[in-house]
Amino acid sequence: MECLFPNSIWNEDDSRNECILVTGGTGLIGTSIREVLTSTSLTNSEFQIKPFEKWTFLSSKDGDLRDLTDVKRIFEKYKPTMVVHLAAKVGGLYTNMANNLEFFRDNIMINDNVLHTSYECGVKKVISCLSTCIFPDKTTYPIDETMVHNGPPHESNYGYSYAKRMIDVQNRGYNQKLKAQGRQGLFTSIVPCNIFGPWDNFDLKESHVIPGLIHKMYLANKRGDSGYTIYGTGAPLRQFIFSRDLANLTIGITRSYTDPEPIILSVDEDDEVSIKAVAEMIASNFPNIKEIKTDPSYADGQYKKTANNGKLRALFPSFKFTSLNDAICESVVWFIKNYDNKTCIIRLGSTND
Amino acid sequence: MECLFPNSIWNEDDSRNECILVTGGTGLIGTSIREVLTSTSLTNSEFQIKPFEKWTFLSSKDGDLRDLTDVKRIFEKYKPTMVVHLAAKVGGLYTNMANNLEFFRDNIMINDNVLHTSYECGVKKVISCLSTCIFPDKTTYPIDETMVHNGPPHESNYGYSYAKRMIDVQNRGYNQKLKAQGRQGLFTSIVPCNIFGPWDNFDLKESHVIPGLIHKMYLANKRGDSGYTIYGTGAPLRQFIFSRDLANLTIGITRSYTDPEPIILSGMIP
Repeated sequence: MECLFPNSIWNEDDSRNECILVTGGTGLIGTSIREVLTSTSLTNSEFQIKPFEKWTFLSSKDGDLRDLTDVKRIFEKYKPTMVVHLAAKVGGLYTNMANNLEFFRDNIMINDNVLHTSYECGVKKVISCLSTCIFPDKTTYPIDETMVHNGPPHESNYGYSYAKRMIDVQNRGYNQKLKAQGRQGLFTSIVPCNIFGPWDNFDLKESHVIPGLIHKMYLANKRGDSGYTIYGTGAPLRQFIFSRDLANLTIGITRSYTDPEPIILSVDEDDEVSIKAVAEMIASNFPNIKEIKTDPSYADGQYKKTANNGKLRALFPSFKFTSLNDAICESVVWFIKNYDNKTCIIRLGSTND
Repeated sequence: MECLFPNSIWNEDDSRNECILVTGGTGLIGTSIREVLTSTSLTNSEFQIKPFEKWTFLSSKDGDLRDLTDVKRIFEKYKPTMVVHLAAKVGGLYTNMANNLEFFRDNIMINDNVLHTSYECGVKKVISCLSTCIFPDKTTYPIDETMVHNGPPHESNYGYSYAKRMIDVQNRGYNQKLKAQGRQGLFTSIVPCNIFGPWDNFDLKESHVIPGLIHKMYLANKRGDSGYTIYGTGAPLRQFIFSRDLANLTIGITRSYTDPEPIILSGMIP
């Protein structure tokens, strides 16, 4: 657990005081939020910590969120006024496919414990984290926030997907209940698209596409390979959001979002990029790798999974996303710098050198 | 709780012995099943209790299924080989609309406790009860078993509906797990349409359409009314299934259904 106080003295008597509890606080998003809050950079200073805010970042050391006793103890200790609920049981494709039952049950338990304890403790805003991967598998594009429940999710991670969807169902129940009781309070959610950045999971088996390619190209470059081959045609298009941009937006939403409906956090539709283009951007950071080749004998994933970020754009019309090239460069630099740093909380996992 | 033994002596050494535990055993379906099993009528005698079966019908007196300790105690006591899971938090339209949160959470808890304890105890078949009211609100007709998750349910009882749908999701998880472990076992479900019959809920506020009309017309008749007015045009079509027919089918399915996918149990349109 790490508590952040602003540099100025936090006024215990200020009725504006916000105690913001972040579950999963040491994960990719949580750590990025912490970095933004404490950054001394002048860009996006609006997302730095405010004088009346106290942020607490939970880790697994604080307790097991599947255990209601642990969750109640944590809430009793920190007495949050707001909760950013990022904690979840997550994993790569193959882990999900083999363990849908556990991914369903554990996440249902974690979510119910956090949401219901928040409700009982009178937390006034709870922002939970969904994901664009939980949307219906068979659907029209672009997808938007109204479509979450419009059909079954992809077969491979149905357990995780349904558990996440039930956050939105449960949120609706709490909002309805609070309204009927005449109580203040809001249960809502963010829906990030593919996140990447420093503090990601770079494990060769469990990682998502960008950190996976960064790690593998790092090793290929080290070996002196002059080219790198990606699976499939490289044509499928995806939207990626840099962890620092997501952190900025999440902080902004925690402070000012008042809609019970989910909000998709994604770059614009025009910023969809092909997997091959992403691989080339990554390769440009590794001097030995001069060429990206494709292997079409491997199946491509879905060609497009475009998400509509119109709601986000209406809320933050002037928000500037970090360019993908710059974001990838920053991620590669971070990875290389921390590759041998065993004291860092990074999950490199099996480094198949 | 009520245990049913067949008239013939139940052979403790018979490896075919089935201990069938029925949760919600004193509700409409549970009571109808009990009546069929013990009926002495010659029609549909195939659904009467078999010599190697012991049926236990749970009621709320046996424990609160939202409490895992109670559920574990019950399973430890009866050691079921099969479970017919009928228990749920149910209610009429207005109760659902005002309490979607409780209908969601309570049913998720009940279902997880019963399903997971069944899994941990090596129960070899678990038949849970869904409902045609949980299907997508906007859909093509006729609806079939493959369409359960194809869109949001009706707004009025979304809490109950999503909790019931998650039974099917969790069933899939157990079947996948058992297969990966090379263990025997089947988690599946029935999907009744509108049920009615003796032992129904005839409460004037909470009842479904047939028992509600029966109760209201009984009172109207008692008053001496010569006519009865129903709301609306009376044109909408529905399928109804008589509780005894549902009981027969459920007994048959408990014994012989081997499909992990849900099965709709629906009656004919009059």
